[in-house]
Amino acid sequence: MGNTKVHADQKYIEALLQNDTVMLTEIYKKYAPKVIGYIKNNNGDESLAKDIIQETLITIYKQAKEKRLQLTCPFDAYFFLLCKRKWLNELKRTTEKEVTINEEIVSISDESAMHIEETLLFEAKDELFAEMFEQLGLSCKELLKATFTIKSLEEVAVKLGQSYGYVRKKKSLCIGQLTKLIQNAPRYNLIKKML
Amino acid sequence: MSPEEKYELYERKISGELSTTEEEILSLLIEEDKSIAEEFKVYKEWSSYLEASLNMDKETVDLKNNLKEIGDSFFNEDKNKKETKVIKMPFWLYTAAASVAIILGVYIFTNREPIYNDFAVIPELSIVERGVENSNINDLEAAFNSGNYKQAEKYLLELLATDNSNSEYNFYYGITLLEQNKHAEATFVFEELMQGNSGYRNRSVWFEALNQLKQKNIEQCFLLLKKIPEDAEDYKQAQKLIKKL
Repeated sequence: MGNTKVHADQKYIEALLQNDTVMLTEIYKKYAPKVIGYIKNNNGDESLAKDIIQETLITIYKQAKEKRLQLTCPFDAYFFLLCKRKWLNELKRTTEKEVTINEEIVSISDESAMHIEETLLFEAKDELFAEMFEQLGLSCKELLKATFTIKSLEEVAVKLGQSYGYVRKKKSLCIGQLTKLIQNAPRYNLIKKML
Repeated sequence: MSPEEKYELYERKISGELSTTEEEILSLLIEEDKSIAEEFKVYKEWSSYLEASLNMDKETVDLKNNLKEIGDSFFNEDKNKKETKVIKMPFWLYTAAASVAIILGVYIFTNREPIYNDFAVIPELSIVERGVENSNINDLEAAFNSGNYKQAEKYLLELLATDNSNSEYNFYYGITLLEQNKHAEATFVFEELMQGNSGYRNRSVWFEALNQLKQKNIEQCFLLLKKIPEDAEDYKQAQKLIKKL
């Protein structure tokens, strides 16, 4: 993606990063109606559409923050297809019976398709990492939370009444444990193949 | 090299603490052993994931709240546009509608979900009772009791640096963190106290439950409340909160 020109709609990504109310309101006004229409036509309602839109915007924000997402395609199709995918996953998760989907054909460029694919992979990986983190023991979880939020290991060491060396060792063991967990997760290997 | 040693080497590499010789050892290991290269890559990924997700908390929460507000007003506006119709109604109906509105208001008010401020009663901090004159402690009390938790946190950290197992300091330190929405750090402090045997053990369970309530982690809050024994100071309040949840 390195040489491709950043699209003018990158402003919406920046709006998410800056938590810019004016621009975020514009996103809702311009792009939400299409998503609401789709979800309402496919076994959903407005309040569910509201959740899907918010979750999708948070996913985009996380990707922008962690991976410095640079949009090289229009926001419109990118956002709509992400919401759509999220909604279909939600339907699959909550409905046991078959549901009829009124397919809406959206033509998208390769560029958009690539962005969507990347965001979906990012999201899948993010969810998997979050799940794995939950599997850690309480002491590791809390130690990692402390070391990543307090930042200074010295301060964490004082707090725990331990030496700096101990805290660093324990931190590395906890991340090591996470490394093992993820390497043994079949879903991780699937995601890796797609990256 | 044991796995523990390897992990520590990775950690020190990421924090830029390796000596030139150690750098060479790691490069050689990565070059020669594909599984180590892969493992180091995953370790680094975890490190950046944790950095982003654990640190992003406050900003993400702010964004979520803002999006919720924008979403709410967008959806309400949308609905209002579709539903605005002028309906003429007789005078008596206005009175009836007003009564219904009041009743509904009272109902919603009394049945709304419990929030942190309904239950959090911050105890007064009073340490100067041993006749020891200590200006730090005086400053701490003044800051804490006037609600300046940021300053109080600073004083408490200074006191903890020389007396880190003091449960009283730790307990009030936890409260200053909680009041500043430093939730993960507060959990850390309260959990330590919960595992100890000090007089602050049960109070810490109660405040950790409030910490979870403040984050709207209702299930976690509930589980903690259940742990508060009948003879504890906060038992009654805990039962009241359980009913509301």
